Amino acid sequence: MATKKLLAKLGRFLDADRASQRKEIDSIRKVLKKLKHKERDLREKLPKAPAGEERDEIAAKLEVIYAQRRKGLDRVKELRGVDKPEKGEGKAEDQIKDS
Amino acid sequence: MHIHLLDPRRYWLLVVFIILGYGFWVSPHFKEIAAGVALFLFGMISLEKGFKAFTGGALERVLRRSTNRLWKSIAFGIGSTTLMQSSTLVSLITISFVSAEMITLAAGIGIIMGANLGTTTGAWLIAGLGLRVDIAGYAMPALVFGVVMLLQRSKLVKGLGYLALGVGFLFLGIHYMKEGFEAFQQAFELSAYEVPGLWGVLLFTGIGVLITVIMQSSHATLLVIIAALAAGQITYDAALALAIGANLGSAVTTAIGGMTANLGGKRLAMAHVIFNIMTAAVAIALIEQMGWVVDQLSVLMGIQDDLLLKLALFHTLFNLLGVLLLAPFIKQLEWALLRYVQFTPKSRAQPLYLYPGALETPASALTALRKEVGHLYDNAHDLIAHGVSLRRSVIASDDSLTEAVKKTHRIIPLDVDDVYEHKVKSLHNEVIAFASEIQGRELSEYAINQVYALQQASRDIVEAVKATKHLHKNLSRYGLSSNVPVREGYDDIRLRIARVLREIRQLRQQDPETVTSLSLDSLRLCMEKSGRRFTSDINRMVRSRRLSPAIATSMLNDEKYASEVCENLLEAAQALLQTGTLAEQAAEGALALDASDIERMASAEPDSPQPDHTHGDEKTAR
Repeated sequence: MATKKLLAKLGRFLDADRASQRKEIDSIRKVLKKLKHKERDLREKLPKAPAGEERDEIAAKLEVIYAQRRKGLDRVKELRGVDKPEKGEGKAEDQIKDS
Repeated sequence: MHIHLLDPRRYWLLVVFIILGYGFWVSPHFKEIAAGVALFLFGMISLEKGFKAFTGGALERVLRRSTNRLWKSIAFGIGSTTLMQSSTLVSLITISFVSAEMITLAAGIGIIMGANLGTTTGAWLIAGLGLRVDIAGYAMPALVFGVVMLLQRSKLVKGLGYLALGVGFLFLGIHYMKEGFEAFQQAFELSAYEVPGLWGVLLFTGIGVLITVIMQSSHATLLVIIAALAAGQITYDAALALAIGANLGSAVTTAIGGMTANLGGKRLAMAHVIFNIMTAAVAIALIEQMGWVVDQLSVLMGIQDDLLLKLALFHTLFNLLGVLLLAPFIKQLEWALLRYVQFTPKSRAQPLYLYPGALETPASALTALRKEVGHLYDNAHDLIAHGVSLRRSVIASDDSLTEAVKKTHRIIPLDVDDVYEHKVKSLHNEVIAFASEIQGRELSEYAINQVYALQQASRDIVEAVKATKHLHKNLSRYGLSSNVPVREGYDDIRLRIARVLREIRQLRQQDPETVTSLSLDSLRLCMEKSGRRFTSDINRMVRSRRLSPAIATSMLNDEKYASEVCENLLEAAQALLQTGTLAEQAAEGALALDASDIERMASAEPDSPQPDHTHGDEKTAR
């Protein structure tokens, strides 16, 4: 039993880097989610905004959100060290491309 | 705590009331004099309020044009004092102008010099014609007209009403003071103090100061001197010394008026005192030589037998000498006043959240610090909004900022130094002291970072206010320029700051759980684009000769100040909005656009229309 525990501890120690990566990915996901909400709000506002200054402002904000989400996705990919996107991020990326 | 209880400032008002009450009970004369002083000060406040109604309008333009050169401001002082026959009133009105930032300090000093010269016409009138304009007679009509105008709706008419009331109360105040001192006036037996030599000159100068301070009018003193000289009560030499004293005494009246004014007004009052002391010193030192010059000139003018007119000539000459001696050094005097006459704090903004109990736990200390920096930000927000001549309500509303900026027809008068000292610097000091206190305790890495970020935010806010001060100076001058490109340029600068203020305000009001400091990136991008557009517009206008290089340079400098305001506000807002864990903050940092991202996006398509996101946006997904 003691050996098993020790082995588990050793496993966690060797996996420490992976755990912190997991933590960072989770945090980025949380921020991406906030951005997604913000984007949805802006998208709803965009057609209602009168053409001109206000509309341009919203469009510029959307442009920035896309760039930020793109950066987030790139960082997630980098952390995973894989080219193939995972479930959640793949969806987010598709959404950016579709939008 | 006991230090506060022993603080005499807490009780000074009570002490003053007791002294005044006792004085009123003991002496009816004292009551009259005190009422005179009170009316006089109230008149000053009304005058200042009245002039503020005209800032940014025609009066300001006229004033600026008539005081933009030293000779013009001196001529303005001479002309207005000759017309009003009261250097005191002209000096006090000038203090109001400087307080309301309608004219510069240097122009104010020029007017004061001119007023000193203009007041000598009174001596000629008194000596030559035996006339004296009785200003108290105008007090009642001025008060009545003032109140009637105050009841009107128009802001301009109301402003005129305050002016009339101010003049009325000033006159009434002087009248009451004179009435109150009538008893003292009887007691001046001038011939009793005859002393030969320099001591005699100094003594009579002192007496002249005293009489003028008591009677609050150098004209009244001159009347006494001329009457005494005509009656043979005093010698001609003593009369000259008394005239010097009368001149010096009139500065004291201005000093009293300066008490109620803001920093600019106080500096001008100080300039008046310095100018009059120096003029008096020169006149005393050269009294014999000047007496000789007066004798020579009076022979030329054919008035050698008239001692009264010779006295008037002496009065004019020594004031002229003072102006000639000091006029070349006005810039230096202005510099010294700006450098050394600083604000003495009275009612500082008190911290709302920093109290010793908040230091009990790191969490409570951090919350208190964050809220206090937020409070500091709010104060700076108000100051900066007024600094760009927009009301807080406009920033808080959903109304178009472009329209609000375009429709501005007056620059809001603002003493940035004053508000900075009261509302910003005092709080910043408290924030820094509290943050140092927190850092002296055991803290987690997260808390250390937060304290550092909030302390930095407090500094950013202060920097934003300082940049506003520089910007406001030129904005008052060119913000409402009739030159369209200049006006548009300044409108653009104001609009940019207003947008940042509004956006940050909206973000700070949102739920901290849903808001992210990443939202500030779009503002950063917007600022970068605006800055580029502004510079290229200026270059184009200079090339096409629509703008002179001199004004273009000022505008570019001001654009730089505006960028500083925006950047510092954004940095401060970043710290205020970041409330998540360390990992979340790091994640936000990873997603935030860096300088190169912003530069790339700003330069991508500077003038092309924005992509229509409703139909897809391939560009950002590439």
